[in-house]
Amino acid sequence: MDLHLISEIAQSGVTPEIAQEYGRKAGKAIALGIGAGLGTIGPGIGVGYIFGKVIESVTRQPEMKDEITSIQWLGFALTEAIVFYAFIFGLIAFFLG
Amino acid sequence: MRARILALCTPLALALAAPGSAFALNINEDYKPQNEFRLDPWINIEIGGIDLSINKAVFYVTVACLLTIVTMILVARKMAAGSALARPSRVQTVVEGYYGLIQNITQGNMSGAMVRRWFPFLATVFLFIWFSNMLGYLPLPTNTEHKVDIFGAQIPSFALFAATANISVPLVLTFIVVGSYHFEGIRAKGPVKYLKGWVPQGVEGPAAVPIFFIEVISHFVRIVSLSVRLFANILAGHLLILFMGGGLVILLNLSIVGSVVLGLVTGTMAVAFFIFEVGLVATLQAFIFTTLAAIYLGGAVAEEH
Repeated sequence: MDLHLISEIAQSGVTPEIAQEYGRKAGKAIALGIGAGLGTIGPGIGVGYIFGKVIESVTRQPEMKDEITSIQWLGFALTEAIVFYAFIFGLIAFFLG
Repeated sequence: MRARILALCTPLALALAAPGSAFALNINEDYKPQNEFRLDPWINIEIGGIDLSINKAVFYVTVACLLTIVTMILVARKMAAGSALARPSRVQTVVEGYYGLIQNITQGNMSGAMVRRWFPFLATVFLFIWFSNMLGYLPLPTNTEHKVDIFGAQIPSFALFAATANISVPLVLTFIVVGSYHFEGIRAKGPVKYLKGWVPQGVEGPAAVPIFFIEVISHFVRIVSLSVRLFANILAGHLLILFMGGGLVILLNLSIVGSVVLGLVTGTMAVAFFIFEVGLVATLQAFIFTTLAAIYLGGAVAEEH
């Protein structure tokens, strides 16, 4: 985007109401994007940590593999759900805000 | 090999060759993705000011219930008739796998008498959630907003929806679970001892008061986390499939070249997400809900915290 566009907007007949409406929409889109995007960082680290630890434990004690696998999925699902908490609240802000 | 390279390069070449205007943003305001989850009443029923209309979600819940009941009755009959056979049938293998899974969940988290009491409930909850989730990935003619004209008949267009993608169904299941474990805890220990059991052993005197209030909050957070986990997973999965499988192309309203490029990329991702959702998330969420219910039920009656 260049400065030419800004002067064009300034010269066109954009009333404060229209500008406000655009600003509101932009704010909602930014809220969804940033909220959901930042929300993926923590769970991403968490899921990686779980699988890393599982690989570590299974290589150390291969006979425990079955037990570890069932706990692994429990931990994975609990961590992964946190992404969706952020996502759902982003959607609430976007569609209902 | 050459054909494969060519197929991989086509979207790239199209993207490079396309003029800048092909990717100009021109959001399609007529398309409302949130309407995909709106519940229009099919049959209006209103009793005493409470809206009891039959809609898409009611249909999905009913189908999931019927599937759960019918499969369990059929399986029980087949198992009773086939027990004399020397070789286990295929149905028996599947059912034994399912039974073993629920047995692992219950015995791992509860003691003997509790397992006998709550096994049927947890097995049913698992199967009901699993059927609701799996039904959500079958396109069924339930979208009454847009009708397709096939030989003069107005048939609702095919849509993806799941009972568990609406907060009400997971929330009710959660209330049943939370109510049951408080009830079990009070029945096993008595109300005063049960409430005292919330504070971990070793914490005494005034320090126990804030710990107790933290525990009270954590019991409310359980309601939110248990219901929202299931609901959000299924809803987000459906939204991903919806946006990747064409929704994004319609929403962005690009030119033909831009749409083809975007469609090729998102369409491929839609297939990947679909396989991920059907293969992992649907079963995993049913498993998680059942496991956590078993942990809560077991924790409420356990002697030490």
